[in-house]
Amino acid sequence: MQRRLPLSFIVLGAIGAAFVALPVIGLALRAPWGRIGEILTGPGARTALRLSLEVSLLATLCSVVFGVPLAWILARGTFRGRAVLRALVILPLVLPPVVAGVGLLQALGRRGIVGSWLERIAGVQLTFTTAGAVVAATFVSIPLVVLSAEAGFRSLDPRFERAAAVLGAKPGYTLRRVILPMVAPQLVAGAVLAWARALGEFGATITFAGNLEGRTQTVPLAVFQTLQTDQEGAIALSLVLVVLSICVLVALRDRITGTG
Amino acid sequence: MPLNVDIEIQLGDRTIAVSFDVADGETVALVGRNGAGKTTALEAVAGIADATGRVALDGRSLIDVPPERRGIGVAFQDALLFPKLSVLENVAFPLRAAGAGRDGARARALAVLRDLAPAVDPNARPATLSGGERQRVALARALAAEPKLLLLDEPFAAVDAEGKPELRTLLRRTLATFDGPRVLVTHDPVEAMTLADRLVLLEDGRVTQTGTPDQVRNAPATRYAAEFVGTNLFEGSLEPEDEGVGILRAGGGELTVVWPERMPLAAVADVRATLSPAEIALHTEEPHGSPRNVFRGAVEEVATVGGRARIRLRTAPPLVAELTTGSVDRLGIVPGRDVWASCKAVEIRLMVPGEEPDTL
Repeated sequence: MQRRLPLSFIVLGAIGAAFVALPVIGLALRAPWGRIGEILTGPGARTALRLSLEVSLLATLCSVVFGVPLAWILARGTFRGRAVLRALVILPLVLPPVVAGVGLLQALGRRGIVGSWLERIAGVQLTFTTAGAVVAATFVSIPLVVLSAEAGFRSLDPRFERAAAVLGAKPGYTLRRVILPMVAPQLVAGAVLAWARALGEFGATITFAGNLEGRTQTVPLAVFQTLQTDQEGAIALSLVLVVLSICVLVALRDRITGTG
Repeated sequence: MPLNVDIEIQLGDRTIAVSFDVADGETVALVGRNGAGKTTALEAVAGIADATGRVALDGRSLIDVPPERRGIGVAFQDALLFPKLSVLENVAFPLRAAGAGRDGARARALAVLRDLAPAVDPNARPATLSGGERQRVALARALAAEPKLLLLDEPFAAVDAEGKPELRTLLRRTLATFDGPRVLVTHDPVEAMTLADRLVLLEDGRVTQTGTPDQVRNAPATRYAAEFVGTNLFEGSLEPEDEGVGILRAGGGELTVVWPERMPLAAVADVRATLSPAEIALHTEEPHGSPRNVFRGAVEEVATVGGRARIRLRTAPPLVAELTTGSVDRLGIVPGRDVWASCKAVEIRLMVPGEEPDTL
C-alpha cells in the first residue's frame, strides 16, 4: 500500500517539476515548426552543426584515450597523492567553464606556459582554432570518462587479473582481452556522457577558442549569437540540442534513472 | 624433487610458513580449515602472492619470475572464467597469451575441451554453464598450454553435490595423465583422500603434518588431523591394569586398551590413541557378552557421504562411528536417540611416546 504524501510536498514537488519542464515546453511551443527544416539546412546552421559534431566527437575520443588510462591509474595505483590527483581530475566538472577557459589561456594560449612553447617549437596555435575548441571541450568532458571508468575498474574482481597473469598474459594483453571487455558498459556510458557534455560546451570554448564561424562556433555559440538577431533561428538550433540530450538520456536510462 | 616449496608469506600481522615437496606424477593435497593459509600458499607458488623463500620447479628458482612466465597451470576456485570470452576463447587464452596463432590455439583448445568437457558448447558464455561445467572448462584452460606444474584450488567449491562424483572421476583421470607435480588445495577430506598421494596439513599458517592418507589416519599429529581423516583421537593418561591391559582416561571417560609390548609397564601421563570409526559398533540395546569398551550416549549428528554414514555421539569420550546407510536405517539411528557404542580393546591404537610416527 502506498502511503499518502503531505499536501505541501505534492505542491512543492509539482512546482519543481514544472520549473524543469517549462523551458523545454517553451522551446517546443515557440519553435518555428514550419521553417525548421529550412533554418537547420541554411548555411550558417549547417556549418555550426557540422563543426559541433566534429568537435564533440574529437573531444570524446581525446577524453577516452587519456581518461581511461588515468582512471586505471586512479583505480589500481597505490601512490601518495592519489586522492589529490582524483580531486584535480574532477575539478573541471565543478569549475565555472569561463574560468576553465581563462585557465586554458594561461596554459595553452599564445603566451601560455605551454602554449608559447608549442608555438615556438611546433608552430601549433590552439587559440581561435578548431583544435582549441576540441581542447576546451575535452577539458570539461574528461572527468565524466574518468569517473565512470574508474567506478568500472573498481567493481572488477581483481582475481581475474591475477588469473590472467598466471595463464601467461602480460598486463597489456590482460587489459585488452579481459579487463576492457568487462568494463565496456561503464566505458560506453562515460563516453556518451562526455560527448553530451562536449556538445553543450560554451563558456570554456568562447573564452579560449573564441567565436569564429566555421572554426570555433559550435551550436551553443551559434545559438547565443543568433539569439540577438533571429530568435526563431536560435530556438531551432536549441531544439537540436534538446533532442540530442533526450537521446542520451534514453540511451543511458538504466544508468541514470536507476530504473529499468 | 621437481617442486620444492619453502616459503614465508606476510599477510597483515600473520605469517604463513609452508614447506613441502612434490615429485613428478605425484598429487599433494594442501588441506586445512578456511583461513589456514592454503590458498595463499598456492597463490605464492603461482606467483600472485608475495612470498620470500624458495619455490623451485625442476631445480629452477621461480621466486623472482613473474607469474606469466612461470609456466604453471592453475584451475582457480570459482573457476574464474573470463565472463566476456566464450568457453573456447577462455581455453585458448593461455595459448594466445603465449603467442600462438589464432587458428592453432583454437584447434588445440577445441581438442582439450572435447576431452575434458565434451558436453559444453565451445561458443557458450561462461555465465550459462553449471558449476561443474565451469570447473571442467577451468581445468581445460589450466592444461591447454601444457604447463609443467598443475595447481587446483578448491575445484569442488562451486559444484553441487550431484556433480561432485563425476568431477572427481574426471579429476582423477586428468591427474593420472599429467606428468608433472600436481598440488590440490581443499578442505574436503573425501576429495583429498581420493585424489592425493600425500597430504600436507596446514593449521594457522603452519604445516602440522605431512604424510600419506594412511599415515595420517594411523597417527594423526593433531586434533584437526584426526578430524580430517575421520579418526577418533584420544589424548589422556594411561595406566596398567591387568595382564597386558591398560586403562586410558580421555575425554571424560575410560577406555580399555591393549598394553603395547614395547612399552614399559608404568603409568604415562600424556598419551595419544586413535580408533577408526569403522571399528565402532552401535547397538540400540545394551550389548550382551563382554566387550569392555561400551559407551552410552545420544546421537548428535548423522552425516551421509556416499553409502556411508558418519555418526557423531555424545558419549564420554565423544566418538565418531561409521556405518553403512543400510545399518543406520535398520537400527533406526536418528539424532537425539540414545545408543550404545562398543569396540574391541585391540582396535584402539596407542601412539607410544618417544616413538615418532613415521609420517614426517
